[in-house]
Amino acid sequence: MSTSSISRRSLLLGALSLAACAPGGTAAPTPSRLAAPSVTSSSPKGEITIWNRSGDLFKVFDAAIGKFRAAYPDVKVNHLSVDIGAKLANTLITGTDVPDGSFWDDANIGSQAEHLYDLTDLIAPYREQTAPYKLSVNTVEGRIYGVPWDLDPGLLWYREDLLAEASIDPASLTTYDDLLVASQKLKERDPKARPIHLDKNPFLGQLWLEMLANQQGTSMTDAQGRLRLDSEEYRRIFTWIQKAAKDKLVTHTPYLEPADLASIENGQQAFIPWAIWWSFAPQQLLKQTKGKWRPMPLPAWTPGGARSGVMGGSSFIIPAKAKNPQLAWLLYEFLCFKEPGIAAVYGPNSVYPGGLSTSIPSYLPALDPEKPLFKDDMGLWKVATEAARNIPPAAPIPAWWAKSVDYLGNNLQLLIEGKLSPDDVIAESSKKIQRNLIDRS
Amino acid sequence: MRKAPYLFIAPFLIVFAAFGAYPLAYAFQLSFTRWHGAGQARWVGLDNYLFLLTNPEFWESLANSAVMWLLVVPVQIVAGLAAAVLLANARLKLKSFFRVAFIAPFVTPLVAMAQVWIVIFDQDYGLVNYVLNADIGWLTSTTWSKPTLALLFLWKTTGFAIIILLAGLQAVPAQVYEAAALDGASRSRQFWSITMPLVRRSIAFLVVIQTLAVFQMFAEPFVVTEGGPYGSTTTAGLYLYDHILASDLGTGAANSFLLVLLVFVLSVVSVRLLRAKDE
Repeated sequence: MSTSSISRRSLLLGALSLAACAPGGTAAPTPSRLAAPSVTSSSPKGEITIWNRSGDLFKVFDAAIGKFRAAYPDVKVNHLSVDIGAKLANTLITGTDVPDGSFWDDANIGSQAEHLYDLTDLIAPYREQTAPYKLSVNTVEGRIYGVPWDLDPGLLWYREDLLAEASIDPASLTTYDDLLVASQKLKERDPKARPIHLDKNPFLGQLWLEMLANQQGTSMTDAQGRLRLDSEEYRRIFTWIQKAAKDKLVTHTPYLEPADLASIENGQQAFIPWAIWWSFAPQQLLKQTKGKWRPMPLPAWTPGGARSGVMGGSSFIIPAKAKNPQLAWLLYEFLCFKEPGIAAVYGPNSVYPGGLSTSIPSYLPALDPEKPLFKDDMGLWKVATEAARNIPPAAPIPAWWAKSVDYLGNNLQLLIEGKLSPDDVIAESSKKIQRNLIDRS
Repeated sequence: MRKAPYLFIAPFLIVFAAFGAYPLAYAFQLSFTRWHGAGQARWVGLDNYLFLLTNPEFWESLANSAVMWLLVVPVQIVAGLAAAVLLANARLKLKSFFRVAFIAPFVTPLVAMAQVWIVIFDQDYGLVNYVLNADIGWLTSTTWSKPTLALLFLWKTTGFAIIILLAGLQAVPAQVYEAAALDGASRSRQFWSITMPLVRRSIAFLVVIQTLAVFQMFAEPFVVTEGGPYGSTTTAGLYLYDHILASDLGTGAANSFLLVLLVFVLSVVSVRLLRAKDE
């Protein structure tokens, strides 16, 4: 029996031929601009799939989407609980089974703009009524790819009872230097006290750092994407951190993990400069110190300076390959801009009987200090809404932001541990971010 | 008539071409481009390779994997062989119990085990520090994070090593041991002169497989330490993933081909070193 052999060379040639067939990513999906919905009739019809995070928030949104269904009975919403951080980017790149809409961290949106609908025209009617920060961070080359969802102002959480015992008036904490003085005073009363929380998680630490930068009207990069870590504002923050750590005024623990909770409960921590979402702790986690925490505006970096900044947050995106993008927009519009939708999300519900207080809407008309959407016994609504109105706008979040945690986030930890100086952090982080991220983006 | 053999192997070839050769060739082509998952890929020649080869983080990730290899593979061979010899002993009681005990971690989902690891090695509330009355950052200090992660990998995969080595041991004819015993060879002598030479191929196979596994190690650091603290557990596999996560697909592809090359060289060296003299 005769056989004809297939040589290795032929196999290699075959493989190379296959490679030649590879699309090589050359199909260029230009960003699609989503027009105003054509579904203007009273009964829009269709089916949409919406991705959301799991947990309590999912349940809250599920109930809110129920209200949407009541308003639009012919729209079927498949509301799915998905590990968005792990799956959405891959799904957008492959273009398979993409949802019609999804909530996503602001820090991720810029990097996937090419896979998303340009929502600039749709948000235009609401632009003046939306927190400027939220619009600016999701802007890529002048176009908006993520429409604002929650707003997360930074606040100074403090132990009311400990400050009272030490005769510290919270109203006197107007600058970060005041915070150091007050912390020193608390430490003199209780040598075990390490009053200021600085987080041990590099990602959260960097998010927190950006809140302090945002407060001063700056951020890691400018609107053109140029790095600006080497600036007076960042040096001011790093120097303050170094001093606080050196004077042993700092509890360096990972966010709400057992060690952190223990040092909160035993009175070691008295000041937590953090986003509004820390409210989850006194409401759901703390036992001994429940009812003893109060929020106030962040201190300013300079006397009379800004006392607001944003820490984290998410927006709503519509993938360019969504099957029913206009219906997805309709849902977003209902939840974000219509009173029944806003009330359904933030108002009392079966999951949070007092309402959802871990963020506030980014829709400014909803932020009336006298008309709280949620109930709380800490005065949170009033403090948060006032802080929200003074948040400075920011430059767009660069696509590589999350990856920069390997440099800036880690170096911030080394600064807190006393292993790097402020200049080291700036020089080391700048060098690596420029070389490994900016130059390659 | 001459086409028949090709028709028979066609199903395999089609599947292999679609899911093996094509992705491989695609990734190879991708490694010469700058592409972020959308838009036009830009041809950059060897730039991705040069970037990696001149980047200290790439070498650190390889060094992390090399240290993990040293912590895992020699220990696993010794421990696996000891356990296999134990299980191969006809006079061992509770043999089924030991088999299940050794194999159970191998078939337990990694994520479940990783969560247990996180809990028992917690610096503040973990069982290990409680028992040792210590305050060691097993997963949060650069000194201990690699050994702690290596221990998880050992715990998880030594069952597989035992299966391979036990199969090798059971292939050794009993008559060889009987003849050696008649000639007065001690158990120790039998082990070094019969068992070791005859399971050498199994050991070589295991070294190659585990070298591949260690350099591709991803899930363990991803779940337990996320590559930290300070990149000390960012293995070669996790570092590669970082590029993909950052949508830097060209660099990710180049990184994967550098890893393939490295693992290929290591495998060849391992096989040659462990090859029997008469082979």
